[in-house]
Amino acid sequence: MNVKFNSRDPVYLQVVQHFKQQIAKGTYVAGQEIPSRRELAQQFQINPNTVQRAYKEMEEQQLIYTDGNLPSCITKDEHVLHNVRHELIQEAVQTFIQSVKSINAPLPEVVALIEQHYEEEDSHD
Amino acid sequence: MIEVKNVSKTFRRKHVLQNMSFTANKGEITCLIGVNGAGKTTVMKAIMGLTPIHSGDIRIDGETLTSASYEKIAYIPDRLSMMPSYTIAEAFEFMRSFYTVWNEARALELLAFFQLSLDQKIETLSKGNTAKVNLLLGLALDVDYLLMDEPFSGIDLFSREQIASVFTSHLIENRGVLITTHEIQDIEMLIDKAILIDDGAVLHEMNVEETREMEGKSIVDVMREVYGR
Repeated sequence: MNVKFNSRDPVYLQVVQHFKQQIAKGTYVAGQEIPSRRELAQQFQINPNTVQRAYKEMEEQQLIYTDGNLPSCITKDEHVLHNVRHELIQEAVQTFIQSVKSINAPLPEVVALIEQHYEEEDSHD
Repeated sequence: MIEVKNVSKTFRRKHVLQNMSFTANKGEITCLIGVNGAGKTTVMKAIMGLTPIHSGDIRIDGETLTSASYEKIAYIPDRLSMMPSYTIAEAFEFMRSFYTVWNEARALELLAFFQLSLDQKIETLSKGNTAKVNLLLGLALDVDYLLMDEPFSGIDLFSREQIASVFTSHLIENRGVLITTHEIQDIEMLIDKAILIDDGAVLHEMNVEETREMEGKSIVDVMREVYGR
């Protein structure tokens, strides 16, 4: 699992987004232990203080929790997990709508194309 | 914290450092960026007391440099200065006799990390491996601050990657690192703070993550603006 970070957006938010994607995909499940801050910095080759900030942000958003000195874990709150997935789908659809609207593509044509291509377009990652 | 305050130095009537000020914090990686001759090495040597300054003040954790500071701060020059005929084991022995803060256990750990061995002779090492030994000898000192002069310069991609991975490891944890480079891409995602210098003066100082967040700019974007390229 490797992530390509872009150098113009805050890296801590890119880390948070990565975790949200893994939650939406089901790679990370409720209560699952996540890598330590140090491990993640090593794995992604990013600044350890930035990882620390990402974990703090995820704690504030209640995506993860940390009990004392134990490793951080994905939240067990199903409501939060459901929202993450919902939020990501919303974001993706919004982006998509913007790009098809920018070329004045009519909705019926777009929907027909989505239905046609959705099944064949299996995830490539 | 390393504090460089209004430091100036003239050499052969040229202002090599002009009223230079910046700080480098413990637990952070601070990068001095600038072309060759901008004053990066000079200011590092000044921090170490290896070259005199004409005005200004340099402090390490609030204190001016004394011989006791060498237990707190180490300078890793851009090339290895060790007898070429030495084996790595002999280089370790030299370091052990010279530095009270030499940490043999950490040195051995680094040796394994870099996949090198004690019986290798320095003169037989590749450029990349020589750079790794150079870095290793500095990293194995139990100091709070490390100054690294161009640790990536002139070595192959895989060695650069391996050296870069030191920065995210526990080997750096809680220490303060001041590093110089002219190839920022290698460490763009690793550093906390960038200090852009030219002609011995600080042109711009930035917290890189804050700049991404507040301005949507990468280090290279800011460098283009500051250096007018």
